[in-house]
Amino acid sequence: MPRSLFDKVWDAHVVEELPGGNALVFMDLTVAHEITTPPGAIAIERDFDDQLYDARRIVSMIDHVAPAKDSATALQAQTVRTWSKRHQIRFHDIGDNGICHVLVPERGYVTPGMTVCCGDSHTCTLGALGAFALGIGTTAQAGAMLAGCLILQRPKVMQVEVTGALTAGATAKDLALSVIATIGFRGGTGYVLEYSGSAIRALTMEQRMTLCNMAIEAGATTGIIAADETTAAYLAATPAAPSGWPLQQADPDAEYAASVTIDGSAIRPVVSWGTNPGECSPIDGIVPFDAPEESLTYMDLRPGQRMSSIAVDQAFIGSCTNSRIGDLRAAADVLRGQRVSVPTIITPGSQAVRRQAEREGLHDIFQDAGALWTHSSCGPCLGMSMGVLAPGTRCISSSNRNFPGRMGDGGRVHLAAPAVVAASAILGRLASPAEIDAPAAVSA
Amino acid sequence: MIVAGYVLPIPRANIDTDQIIPARHLTRIDAEGMGEHLFEGMADGVELLARHPEASIVVAGENFGCGSSREHAAWALLGRGFSAVIAPSFARIFSENAYTNALLPITLPHHTVEMLMATRHITIDVVNETLCADDGEQIRFALDPLRKQFVLGGGFLNYLQAKIPAVRAWEAMR
Repeated sequence: MPRSLFDKVWDAHVVEELPGGNALVFMDLTVAHEITTPPGAIAIERDFDDQLYDARRIVSMIDHVAPAKDSATALQAQTVRTWSKRHQIRFHDIGDNGICHVLVPERGYVTPGMTVCCGDSHTCTLGALGAFALGIGTTAQAGAMLAGCLILQRPKVMQVEVTGALTAGATAKDLALSVIATIGFRGGTGYVLEYSGSAIRALTMEQRMTLCNMAIEAGATTGIIAADETTAAYLAATPAAPSGWPLQQADPDAEYAASVTIDGSAIRPVVSWGTNPGECSPIDGIVPFDAPEESLTYMDLRPGQRMSSIAVDQAFIGSCTNSRIGDLRAAADVLRGQRVSVPTIITPGSQAVRRQAEREGLHDIFQDAGALWTHSSCGPCLGMSMGVLAPGTRCISSSNRNFPGRMGDGGRVHLAAPAVVAASAILGRLASPAEIDAPAAVSA
Repeated sequence: MIVAGYVLPIPRANIDTDQIIPARHLTRIDAEGMGEHLFEGMADGVELLARHPEASIVVAGENFGCGSSREHAAWALLGRGFSAVIAPSFARIFSENAYTNALLPITLPHHTVEMLMATRHITIDVVNETLCADDGEQIRFALDPLRKQFVLGGGFLNYLQAKIPAVRAWEAMR
């Protein structure tokens, strides 16, 4: 029977079928960070003699609050640090760290056909490498560390074919947001999104990661993209330079539980106006007249309002969605020789990304423009540290969630690509990079 | 196993885990203390809990628990004395976390959930997968047959521990 790419990866990892459509699925790699790992690691130590299935199948890091901001987060970091050393787990401490979904691929830890889990919903990012990678809870992660497996319901597979090619100005972030708007904020629930088509093939690995990163925002278990020569070149350039991985693709006549086709050439730069990532409009468009009142009340917007009339109080470029070197280059292209007019935080996705950016002089462009250039952390994306929003303030952000309160109690978040965030930081309102050479006046 | 309690109606879809427990509270190395911050990320969350001080069963709209994978969302609900969430649909990770922690995630059709939203008290027969609201008719629901055992008797990690020999044998044959 012809199979999808996802089916092939899944089938190769089923240890045992379990009752009720569940399966015991082998995990080639478990990624462990300091926020969600400690209770599980402690439970294994306390109740299971500190036994891990295979410590070589774990990689750990400090990423969410790096370095610790207080005693409580310091204890979280210290717990992961001592546990990692005790088990000789590959561990990335502050200085050598990064957001897990940025660090793990850049070091070459994930190869096509692997299964990967992490107590973090954006683990779907790694599907960009042709892996089955998914977010899970703390106890499920502990199970994977203890027994090498997850208990999972087999997801259905949705083919998301993106035809044509993205046009100038449209980015992987715009595509990611447009996919969510197309299938709906919960339209991917129960599915894996298997991306294919010419517009996908043309994406760089970093852009594929941005796209897969937001599969969870449609409710999907994960996203997955077949490996190709772009994947091979990316992996060959990583420090681990893994080789010998399978070049798997979907069978040409594979059947999918659902299929959508998106015209890549129709993707336009978009910005979110609502309280979930599916609520977006083109940057040169308006807040829709049929927008839910509840979203608009929280966001303090009105139907029909021009997107470019929305003033912002802060800008953030970072997060596991858009903090890689290509994202920083895109922001630098806009910020070069300009000045930001609102507080702007630029947080690289890993220390390796930070060092590369500095080799290219991007840090000077950012700081000459008046932006704050930081070390790597998840930072304000989830409202934990390094730039949390004040109540009632509005942030244009390259991150992934615009939920109420996500970046700080009462804070309002507009999601966009890094270049749009940079342009908005300069003009102090939602803005297209195309406006930067000849800034237009603010108009309502 | 009977779970009975008063209803906390949340007539909205997409109650995400940031609303259930904001990330600023995810700073512990155990599962304790989450209950006191339940729904702090929801605009009317604290007020809602104050209006329903005895509630122990959430009845909410579609896609409950979407967003972050934080198991703290299940811990916060349990820590505040909740034992079940009834909704037309759940986010996958929340549902998995709920089962693992013996918090009942009950999926029912939209119109049934809407009807339950207006009731005061619900009695749930977990073993037989039925529930009854106020003096209404018996309503059937379906639990994941495997994960139901974790609700009834816990032991999620013990179940996986017992699988280790089979996993090692599988890996050796791979």
